[in-house]
Amino acid sequence: MQSVTRWNLVRIAVTTVYLWVGWVLFTWSVAPRTLALGLIHSSVVALLTYPVFVEHDEAARRSHVPRLQFLAVYLLLLVFQMYVASFRVLWQIVRGRINPGVVHFRTRLRSDIARVVLTNSITLTPGTITLLLDDDHLIVHWLDARTTHSRYAWTLVAQPFERLLKRIWV
Amino acid sequence: MTIAAIVFLGLGVVFGVIGNLGVLILPDVYTRLQASSTASTTSVFSALVAAMLTVGWHPMTGKIAVIALFFFVTSPIAAHIIARYAWQREIVPWRRSFAERRQLREHHDD
Repeated sequence: MQSVTRWNLVRIAVTTVYLWVGWVLFTWSVAPRTLALGLIHSSVVALLTYPVFVEHDEAARRSHVPRLQFLAVYLLLLVFQMYVASFRVLWQIVRGRINPGVVHFRTRLRSDIARVVLTNSITLTPGTITLLLDDDHLIVHWLDARTTHSRYAWTLVAQPFERLLKRIWV
Repeated sequence: MTIAAIVFLGLGVVFGVIGNLGVLILPDVYTRLQASSTASTTSVFSALVAAMLTVGWHPMTGKIAVIALFFFVTSPIAAHIIARYAWQREIVPWRRSFAERRQLREHHDD
């Protein structure tokens, strides 16, 4: 078997597993019939869409198999940060005391998926929106820009997420 | 359980109202996007948590969890696309004047 063929099979398998987990969560039943039906449909969809789901050069094992224990902690942290930042933004809107600004900084994360998740988390947290992600360079619009210094902005905006993200996906 | 659901639903209402208020009173596209998209994400998430608490342990819980996860992925992407479009059209973000910023900084230092 050629290595390209093997890699394509791995890509199909990874896509199938992800789709199947989604199916099981969404149907919320472990009856064998449901599981089999889900597996069949996941594999058909995976056959059609695996080039989109897993990039050709995205071959690191860690970018497909996240460390789930850290992922759970990360989701809790995300929800907590979201609520804290929401109350801060709410107060700023009510008082009208906003000081918007644009900050640039670089992330230390290596893999694509980790960078995308970091960008997504920054945008999800109220008060910050990512304007552009170019390789490791992020441009962030900040509702209460306490600094324009690149390193310090990274410490305030991205560091709490990055510390966990580099454990999940490297 | 019911009280927790009521609290979360109340939070959702408050964040939704303030988010839409922000769209009306804030000055430019970026700050309005901050108010509308991100505050309403919190609002919708609170409503979903309230629904989960009301239902209890039920097939619907997993579906709501999946919906919440899906919302966590899609909502920031929508906000990011709008912000990215505005940034690439070179719309200049609104800023406070220098004097006002200095005053705010002194206020922070107090």
